Amino acid sequence: MLPGGFSYGDYLRAGAIARFTNIMPAIIKMANAGKPVFGTCNGFQILTEAGLLPGALKRNDNQRFICRTIPLEVVNNQTIFTTQYCSRERIALPIAHADGSYYADEETLDRLEANNQVVFRYAAENPNGSLQNIAGITNERGNVLGMMPHPERAVEAILGSVDGLRLFKSLLENGKVRTEA
Amino acid sequence: MTNVRIFVTYKQSVFDPQGETIKTAIHSLGHDEVTSIKVGKFFDVTLAATGSDVVTAVKEIADQLLVNFNMETYTYQVMEEA
Repeated sequence: MLPGGFSYGDYLRAGAIARFTNIMPAIIKMANAGKPVFGTCNGFQILTEAGLLPGALKRNDNQRFICRTIPLEVVNNQTIFTTQYCSRERIALPIAHADGSYYADEETLDRLEANNQVVFRYAAENPNGSLQNIAGITNERGNVLGMMPHPERAVEAILGSVDGLRLFKSLLENGKVRTEA
Repeated sequence: MTNVRIFVTYKQSVFDPQGETIKTAIHSLGHDEVTSIKVGKFFDVTLAATGSDVVTAVKEIADQLLVNFNMETYTYQVMEEA
């Protein structure tokens, strides 16, 4: 799991320098072996910069750091990360980023849609200008997920939402099934 | 030694929020004739190399690090060889 943060001060581009850290070859090896890799916020940015996920994250359209809980739609509940959600379910997760505007060229966007790689979409509003309201995507194989919202900050009622918990439960459940198989 | 300036900008098709914000500020100065502003960045690079080695190095550095080709493009200018 690649957490959020501002690795290397977001110098050059968010996530651009972190992909040169010593651990990245091992993460790329894991991803290529089909093991689950999950990146949230800065982790998502690093995964795109490392080429493990298509597209890029650019500065929010409003030029501001945005920190609040927003509604999302679960677009694909057939990934190893989302089986405990219902299809089209509305959930609420916090976002906290300045560079979260998802961008990819039209061909890439078409491919993402055709392969059901869009996993989460901003539901009521698009906070950052992401194309097609994209909040989270997987790679083509489905074992690498990147998303700007923070499910790990929504795992207890005291945090304001428990909607992120099922992402981790989905992973546990699917990991167990795969181990037993 | 060779000094090279590498310019990185968003591709034309990419919305540049910084540029739009600056354009609004310029309009408030009264310069309504400004129709577009695109913000980019440049890198002044000094290389202990000359000639075609410089071009090879600059292209590799730009391709592998300085530019994210999903959204950006670049040009470069050899400033001086000494």
